[in-house]
Amino acid sequence: MYFTNVNLGQYVPTGSFIHRLDPRAKLFSLLLIISSVFPSKGVLALGFWVLVLALAVKASKISWGIVLRAARPVMFLVIFTFVFNVIAVSWSKSITQGIFTSLFTASRLLVLMLFAVLLPLTTAPLELADGLDALLSPLGRFGFPAHESAMMIGMALRFIPLLMQETDKIIRAQLSRGARLDQGNIFQRVKAFLPVLIPLFIIIFRRADEIAVAMEARGYEGGAGRTRRKPLVWHWTDTLVIAVCVVLVVVSFAL
Amino acid sequence: MNAQKKDRNNDTPLIEVQSVTFTYGAKDTGRALNGVSFFVDRGERIAVLGHNGSGKSTLVKILGGLQEPSEGVCLINGVNIQEMDFKELRRTIGMVFQDPENQIVAAMVEDDAAFAPENQGLPSRVIQERVDSALVRVNMTHKQDAAVSELSGGEKQRLALAGALAAKIDCLILDEATAMLDPKGRLNIEQALRELHRAGMTIIQVTHQIEAENFDDIQRVIVLSHGRIKWQGLTLDFWNKAEELGFELPDEFKFRRYCGDRGLNFPEDFAEINAPLPQTESYHPEAPAKFSIKGLSFRYTDKSYALKDIDTEIFSGKWLSIIGRTGSGKSTLVQHLNALYKIQEGKILLEGQDLPQKGEEVHELRQKVGLVFQHPEDQLFSPTVREELAFAPKNAGFKGKDLDEAILYGLSCAGLPEELLVRSPIALSGGERRLVAIASVLSARPECVVLDEPLAGLDASYQRKILGMLGKLRDEGRTVITVTHDLDMALNFSDRILILRDAGKIQDGAPREVLETLMESLDPEAWPDSLRISAQIRKVNPTFPLLYNYQELISCISRT
Repeated sequence: MYFTNVNLGQYVPTGSFIHRLDPRAKLFSLLLIISSVFPSKGVLALGFWVLVLALAVKASKISWGIVLRAARPVMFLVIFTFVFNVIAVSWSKSITQGIFTSLFTASRLLVLMLFAVLLPLTTAPLELADGLDALLSPLGRFGFPAHESAMMIGMALRFIPLLMQETDKIIRAQLSRGARLDQGNIFQRVKAFLPVLIPLFIIIFRRADEIAVAMEARGYEGGAGRTRRKPLVWHWTDTLVIAVCVVLVVVSFAL
Repeated sequence: MNAQKKDRNNDTPLIEVQSVTFTYGAKDTGRALNGVSFFVDRGERIAVLGHNGSGKSTLVKILGGLQEPSEGVCLINGVNIQEMDFKELRRTIGMVFQDPENQIVAAMVEDDAAFAPENQGLPSRVIQERVDSALVRVNMTHKQDAAVSELSGGEKQRLALAGALAAKIDCLILDEATAMLDPKGRLNIEQALRELHRAGMTIIQVTHQIEAENFDDIQRVIVLSHGRIKWQGLTLDFWNKAEELGFELPDEFKFRRYCGDRGLNFPEDFAEINAPLPQTESYHPEAPAKFSIKGLSFRYTDKSYALKDIDTEIFSGKWLSIIGRTGSGKSTLVQHLNALYKIQEGKILLEGQDLPQKGEEVHELRQKVGLVFQHPEDQLFSPTVREELAFAPKNAGFKGKDLDEAILYGLSCAGLPEELLVRSPIALSGGERRLVAIASVLSARPECVVLDEPLAGLDASYQRKILGMLGKLRDEGRTVITVTHDLDMALNFSDRILILRDAGKIQDGAPREVLETLMESLDPEAWPDSLRISAQIRKVNPTFPLLYNYQELISCISRT
């Protein structure tokens, strides 16, 4: 299990209330939540957001196991932040305070990541792309490729699990040929990984090429003139969710 | 446009290819297509046959308007494809390619089927109608709310087919669309195609192999070789020319012809044949065990079993085939043999010694037990074939003269010429790349070599090369293990067969011993043609033996 059980935020359809929300509402709520979790200072405010997170996960009908597993790739960042903080703060202040502050900073980052991970878990890639497209489209007036960027993110999300499987298979194949991927210093390790990286890049380019051809064969020529089977429809629930998020943000600042 | 189209309907063919040439870069060296001309009428179903490198993929792209020919034109309804309106073209021609994964853009079945009509800018209600009817036509309605990740390979390819149909096309082009599927998946696609054709769809199937089930409805065949049309004509005439043109006939066709030539009705006329039963040789392995597997179990993180209580012996210097459906635990089992999976429960002995699980001993084990994954050509990374072949022996500590010998040994096993050593593996043909990839494992001189679907997607000539190579390795005293869906290879080439189902062992033994279990656990589509034929004869003639080899079948019939 080199890479087999990693789920990098692959869509998990459960048909929950959160799944059915408009992707624009979800994106906007996430933006609100992140911008308020990030500057939160007190333990109370963070505890409050943990509670909100727990409720959100409950409402999504996705198990905690899946949510945590999806966040595993970013755990490294959380741990790194923690260790770095411990050293930095202990240096200037006391160790107890160092551990306490670092624990707080790392948990804040973790909560943030878990909120972020919920988005792709509850939103199908193309729907997410549609939402991003809609939110980014005002930038299109300034020449920003809004539709293309959104489509790219959607396609990347669709193909990440597949590329993880490919990576796993290549690692196994090269280990079978006696590759030593886990020995030596950092330079030797990077060099030892070339037999994995080179075939992976070849596969990625080949896939990208074939996907582009297949999309063209189905008449894709960019966002202009494209309609939707299920056009994004803004319901009163979406407005409600945004309103609730605004209230939550205000409450958390008051804590 | 529409009025024009109607005028032409009667006399112009749907597709007309006029002396199309396609050149890659340098003018004369890289000619993928050279003066190709043919036409396709409305409602026709034709096959374009060609070996790897015959130029058929380029032809597909030109027919689909995805590539501009260097010379010549491709006309659709009399209009040059290059001058056609993009939307109009995409409403006329739909395409299905080999790898379903590379054609599916959405995560949910309905979202993906909707992609083409969405691109056409249709209103939502019409899009939904298109999606519904496309899913009905490929018999996938029961999966309309499913996530793409829950589908099998065959279902994914049917979804890709639905995705093309949803554009409301007149003509469907399939490029090796069944090559990656199992027999069941192939059959389902074939059923869908048959019904589409009956409903008036024009179908062009591009392929390198003749499948019995594919060819019944095909009216015309075009044979492509080295970028030129080598032969074209009616399917009926093709059968008499096929072998001459370099294509192996499926046994079922040979048998039909055998019956046709002798005026025999199948299976009624075989009811009276009194054929002798072949000797049921029971297997007495005089060979010592290479691996003894005792009570091996393996569970995934979600606690479900990948392997459950496997007990078996793999004999030294013999060829074992491991058979089972996708998800039966085959690949987990073989990846235990070189410690890619660590043993959770149970025991594996290699020549009486516990299989090492960590440290330097694992590296030694991986030199002894070489593992060739499915599509190993995807794992090549070196600038030259020499370096590719040197990778495994170098890791195993070969140096200087030993290393050179090891490289040459790998090369000779695969029957590749020494000139190839300086070439770049990426630039080789698909079949050659497969051979290089296998050679790059054999160069470390493993005592045991495991191969996962070594024949998948190859031409008959390369398949024969690999079968010959595996036989030779076994004769050298090496243990050969193949993991496969290919019952023909398992029954006719390997010494023993191990059958897995749902993570457990069903039976192991010599091919004839396990034959009936195999027939029970796999659908008839997966059986070799001869076996299916003899099973049908058996229905009218209970004493008729079950045979899985065409020569045996014919000699058994003709003896009486």
